[in-house]
Amino acid sequence: MFKLALKSLLNRKTSVILTVVAIAVSVALLLAVERVKEQVQQNFANTVSGTDLIIGPRSSQTQLLLASIFHIGSMTNAMSWDSYENIAGRDEVDWAVPISLGDSVQGLPVVATTEGYVKHYRYADKQTLNVIQGRWFADNEQAVLGAEAAKTLGLAVGDQLTIAHGSGGLSFSEHDQHPIAVVGVLARTGTPVDQAVFVSLETIETVHGIEPGSAEHADNHQHEGHEHPAESITAALLGLKVKPLALRLQREINTYEKEPLTALMPGMTLQQLWKTLNVFEQTLNGMSAIVVFIGLIGMLTILLASLRERRREMAVLRAVGAGPLTLFSLLVTEAVLVTLFATFAGLALLYTLQWSLMDFIHSQTGILFSLNLPTPAEWWRMGLVVIAGFLLSLIPAWRAYRQSLSDGLTVKV
Amino acid sequence: MSAAIELDKVRFSWSSQVPIIDIDHWRVDCGDTLLLRGASGSGKSTLLSLLAGINKPQRGEICLLGSDITRLSARQRDKFRADHIGYIFQQFNLLPYLSAHENVLLGVHFSALRRQRLTQSATQTATDYLSRLGLSKQQQQQPAAVLSVGQQQRVAAARALIGAPEILIADEPTSALDTEHRDVFIKLLLELSQANNTTVVFVTHDATLAGHFNTHTELSQLNPLPQTASAGGSNV
Repeated sequence: MFKLALKSLLNRKTSVILTVVAIAVSVALLLAVERVKEQVQQNFANTVSGTDLIIGPRSSQTQLLLASIFHIGSMTNAMSWDSYENIAGRDEVDWAVPISLGDSVQGLPVVATTEGYVKHYRYADKQTLNVIQGRWFADNEQAVLGAEAAKTLGLAVGDQLTIAHGSGGLSFSEHDQHPIAVVGVLARTGTPVDQAVFVSLETIETVHGIEPGSAEHADNHQHEGHEHPAESITAALLGLKVKPLALRLQREINTYEKEPLTALMPGMTLQQLWKTLNVFEQTLNGMSAIVVFIGLIGMLTILLASLRERRREMAVLRAVGAGPLTLFSLLVTEAVLVTLFATFAGLALLYTLQWSLMDFIHSQTGILFSLNLPTPAEWWRMGLVVIAGFLLSLIPAWRAYRQSLSDGLTVKV
Repeated sequence: MSAAIELDKVRFSWSSQVPIIDIDHWRVDCGDTLLLRGASGSGKSTLLSLLAGINKPQRGEICLLGSDITRLSARQRDKFRADHIGYIFQQFNLLPYLSAHENVLLGVHFSALRRQRLTQSATQTATDYLSRLGLSKQQQQQPAAVLSVGQQQRVAAARALIGAPEILIADEPTSALDTEHRDVFIKLLLELSQANNTTVVFVTHDATLAGHFNTHTELSQLNPLPQTASAGGSNV
């Protein structure tokens, strides 16, 4: 039966191959959507790791996360340096990195921070930022570029740039009088770090015309004797000595009395954010499911169309003793063979594409599509395609059954 | 001598009430070679589908080799056909995507009984049959579709006779052949049948073939239906 079905399919090579290709491409697409989603989600979740809490002025958690990590949107409020120092100085805090946002270089976000950023910022599987050209800034009026920023701006170590106030692409208040030297470029990370320009907090203060560590708080005894890099900051990344304390500290910061603040745990907030992107994922899924369906309809069409010309074949099989049920299962076998073969061809196509485009995608987006074995979710999708093929084949099989009953041995074509 | 085929008061009609088969009694002895002559429209195809067990009469008995196939289920009739009946069509006998040789093997594909009857392997038997019917080894491996009509009919004969079925039904197998090929084909067919002691029912509209067969039966006498004449069939 199997051999018969296979030979019968081989006899109709052209249409069968076209069907296999159509279904294979659609299966590859279906799996690719799943794979891209997995990887993007992974990448998304990998944007920041090793940071236990992000704190900032009172706002929504999503807003704070988007601003501090993705450099998207802006914070309307700021957080005072006093509160930052207060929290950073607590016993359970291992390290703290202040971040000040709000300026840009030709539309690219400027992240004003300290040396702690390159030391403590982690992404993906606790990977560190690497300076591949030059070094991290050590002084004022020096900048370090993310990989993509260096490419976009066309700048390298030794070049100069000017910072514009505000995050827009075109700003009229360019701080031309403060040229800043590029002293380093970071390796590609596949995170928003790539797009950013890093400078020290003092640099930003200078650009804004404020003398670092000056003025207003000079009369405050608490600050006597040490430098005060900025008046206020946008957010701060915290690392804790004991990770499980994050939840307690978060609650304490959210109810901080001296200033309204927000604290968030990056992992959790990233997940919440991802969930809001669900609609996008479902649309992609729906579309690829439709493509698979169209491929299967193609198969149904050739099976139904072939029935007419195969009536004699059916009569011959009946003459040598095949029952109508045998013919029924012959057609089902053919369809299942086609879908099975097409599904594996689709899987092979996916791996070929992934393998050949892996380096390209990595260099362009920083996303690494690792060549893994199919996940259970992918097996499940492939299984569904084969089951759908089987179910659809029942239609031509049923017709062949009816046809062979009415034709018997006499075919009047 | 026992009967290979025995029909008794068989009546069959399609959906309309008018019977197309109405045979009071008909008997074919085992090992007989019979020419059944009938014009188109005389119920020929219907009678053959009853004999092959594809359809079942509304009334009467059809005994093949002593068993009444009208009492069998559709599935059992399919099995009976696979085991005991070889069938040759007018044309288009072969599956175009199988080789001539594989087409012959199809004859024993659905019947364990016919496989058991083979004295040597099915592959070897098929080769022998086709060689006796004049197909070269090379032709045997070619797809059936590239063979000439005459060769295709010979392949069909080999398939119908492999595994020595007791009954061979041939439905105008020579109508697509010219006179010369026709006579050769009938000779070969009868030779092979006799070697297996197979009962042959050879259906044709051509009475000139009668000389090849032991018995000559007119369908119009066997199945005397009023509409036979009006349907254009000529009575000899």
